[in-house]
Amino acid sequence: MNSIHSSWSNIFIAHIKRDILTNSRSLLDLISIVGLMILIIILFPLGLGPIKEKLNVVSNAVIWVGLILAIIPSLEKLLLKDFENGWLDQIATSPAPLEIIMLSKAISYWLIMLIPLILTSPIFAILLDMDLKNIPWLVISISAGSLAISLIGLSGSALILGARRGNILLPILIIPLMTPILIFGVGVNEAVKINESPFGNLFLLLALTLIYLVISPFISALLVRIAIGR
Amino acid sequence: MLYLEGLTVQRGNKIVFSNFNTIIKSGSITLIKGKNGSGKSTLLRTIVGFTPLEKGTIKNDKKNVFNNNEEWVNNLIFLDTKTGLSKDLTVIENLNAWSTMKGWSSNIENLTMALKSVGMDKYADLYISQSSEGLKKRAALARLYLSFINKVDFWILDEPTNELDKTSLVLFKQLISKFLKQNGTIIIATHDLTIVEDQFNILDLDDFKKQRVL
Repeated sequence: MNSIHSSWSNIFIAHIKRDILTNSRSLLDLISIVGLMILIIILFPLGLGPIKEKLNVVSNAVIWVGLILAIIPSLEKLLLKDFENGWLDQIATSPAPLEIIMLSKAISYWLIMLIPLILTSPIFAILLDMDLKNIPWLVISISAGSLAISLIGLSGSALILGARRGNILLPILIIPLMTPILIFGVGVNEAVKINESPFGNLFLLLALTLIYLVISPFISALLVRIAIGR
Repeated sequence: MLYLEGLTVQRGNKIVFSNFNTIIKSGSITLIKGKNGSGKSTLLRTIVGFTPLEKGTIKNDKKNVFNNNEEWVNNLIFLDTKTGLSKDLTVIENLNAWSTMKGWSSNIENLTMALKSVGMDKYADLYISQSSEGLKKRAALARLYLSFINKVDFWILDEPTNELDKTSLVLFKQLISKFLKQNGTIIIATHDLTIVEDQFNILDLDDFKKQRVL
């Protein structure tokens, strides 16, 4: 029994390695995410006009909304590429459960696409004139919330496999699921702004992440099985 | 022995086949033929366990294979027209990823031997995005060689020879006869009944459907 589980973890890690290797060969997805994020960050201050105080009010929300919107186009391709080239059929013949492999997909997506956004978020915060004391909390809250975002994104990506017009369907389906993440994520920094403890919001954010960590691999695996059974 | 008993498979509203029975002997090769759309691929995908069964069972030596799905899928190699090769990886990286995905140790010697078995050792570092359809198919067929190192009893292949040239066809036939000697069971869906010279069984889906009508 033990050997089976050790081989599961090997497969888990090997799959993350494969995804990172695949994505490192074509950086276009990553560039498009970061590019879109930068555009959103630049457009907002231009739209708000020259009053500096307005920016401080919205900066926190703009970063979170920007993050969610920027990753939508790449979520669509998260599983679709592997579905079209037949890799999902092959991983369904793996001794490791599909749930484990789906979890590895979410983790590798988080590592490849969201870590760069987390690392660059302090720059975005400075561009949006956020207080310096808020920046560490922004990084912490985005780190916690973005894992949940990638898990929700994975389920959404599994849902549209084989659907025509999936690219239009996807944002409509998954953005509502991401609203709790947005509310508590923004809540962390709003609490810091008014000198309250941010931990209430942060723990709720972590709790949501853990809930999605448990259910999302199962939902995604079920949806993938339906997609390859058609 | 693989017993397919009373298989009924439905895709959407259409019944692909109903009450389909057959026995596939161990160590034999079975060619599934039939018109386009007669359900060859669906039958293969049903055997692997992708397409859910409406009714019926698939038994391997009296045991329902889907009771222990993990053991079943680990015991077979499935190769579709969609090969599962990532175009961003090289031939050997794809084989390595596939082999570790199967939970097999993938040391470089075995992988090189596998590529050699289909004449792909020269192309090990070629990106899939740059290779032709025939090379892609051969890169996928290299996986079959790994079943001589690890325990696999079934090959389930959908149109494996479509893009192959004559030399690779010979290599593919060598793989087949080697696997049959190991008492492996091969199920192939194909239009080309000349791909094997050994003794083989034919499963004609058109015939089966005619019988149902009569």
